[in-house]
Amino acid sequence: MEKARTIAATVCVKCHGADGNSTDPAYPKLAGHHPNYIVGQLNEFIAGRRKSDIMVPIVTALDPGDFKALGAYFGAQKPTSGTVLDKKAAEEGKRLYLDGNEEKGIPACAGCHQEDAGGTKRFPRLAGQHREYLIREMGNFKNEIRMTKTGRFMREVAKRMTDQEIKAVAEFLAGL
Amino acid sequence: MKMLLNGLLVVWSSWLLAQSPAPSGAGADPAWNEIKGEKLLALRLKGDPARGAEAFEICQGCHKSGATGSISGVYPRLAGQHATVLIEQIVDIRSSRRSNPKMKPFAHEQIVSPQEIADIAAYLQALPIPPNLGKGPGTALARGKELYARDCATCHGDRGEGNGEKFFPLVAGQHYKYLLRESRLIRDGERGNANPDMVKVIKSYTDEDLEAVADYMAGLAPP
Repeated sequence: MEKARTIAATVCVKCHGADGNSTDPAYPKLAGHHPNYIVGQLNEFIAGRRKSDIMVPIVTALDPGDFKALGAYFGAQKPTSGTVLDKKAAEEGKRLYLDGNEEKGIPACAGCHQEDAGGTKRFPRLAGQHREYLIREMGNFKNEIRMTKTGRFMREVAKRMTDQEIKAVAEFLAGL
Repeated sequence: MKMLLNGLLVVWSSWLLAQSPAPSGAGADPAWNEIKGEKLLALRLKGDPARGAEAFEICQGCHKSGATGSISGVYPRLAGQHATVLIEQIVDIRSSRRSNPKMKPFAHEQIVSPQEIADIAAYLQALPIPPNLGKGPGTALARGKELYARDCATCHGDRGEGNGEKFFPLVAGQHYKYLLRESRLIRDGERGNANPDMVKVIKSYTDEDLEAVADYMAGLAPP
């Protein structure tokens, strides 16, 4: 854990913050994710299924032997919450998040990500995540840029959602 | 070479089937429900309900926590359904034998493995069945009862309990609108994997007949 703390404080800190609560919305918050999920995504960057000009060289330079400890470190950090900027959109997003849309075949996000959006060992925490980041990643799913193995489900979900629906769900989640 | 491979597959399949009294829904028309490939594999695997509960997370965005489905009938209740029926339907949907374009992408092999299908089926079969939620209008129950006793009970059971060994689904207490939608698809030859025996039986049914039987089945108390 000490080594992971040092890596976080010297490498990850610039974008994600030392405690995994990034303040720049271009970079996701990592605090409070399940450690398994963090390790899985680091491996997806190395495998090339998750693309990022910034992250790939950084992850490649790390020792994969440290991934587990890094996951445990960020998983143990207390996630910060956000604030809603657009109340109406957040309401619409909440409905979609909890109930999905039967007519369009959009599953309720809560089915996997949990009602409180806290995530599980397979699915990321979404509560309090930056809206800009959520919208960008949904776009990456929709456009088949994020080709992670476990992302197949999400690529299908994203294709069934309009940009407005994605923005609404992101607004709801950012405010949790 | 291909013939040799096919021959080997046949030997392998018969060996798998011989390992246990594997359920066979072949019945009168063996082509209807040929147990082969990953359907056979998933049926042979031992399902683990605890692992199934976790694997089912990806299904509950639609089928809901507790697998209650929805009263609108868009998603069926799966709780308490026979494991064999669930395995057969999931595999048929992913191979497009049963037409379900909305679910098919989510049933992809990269999302659920044959072992996970077996686990999910074991989990769902053991789930307590919630009380009848999606009942019908209750206006043609007598007619429904009569048709059910005449045409449906032989396979689906006197109380709608189905028959896991023969792949006949539990229908008692299923959402009315779901029963209605599927029986229409079966009658009109649009479901894809319907039992031809059933198609023959309900081919002459009017919409009112289907409504009456669905009404009756939705009102049956699940076991």
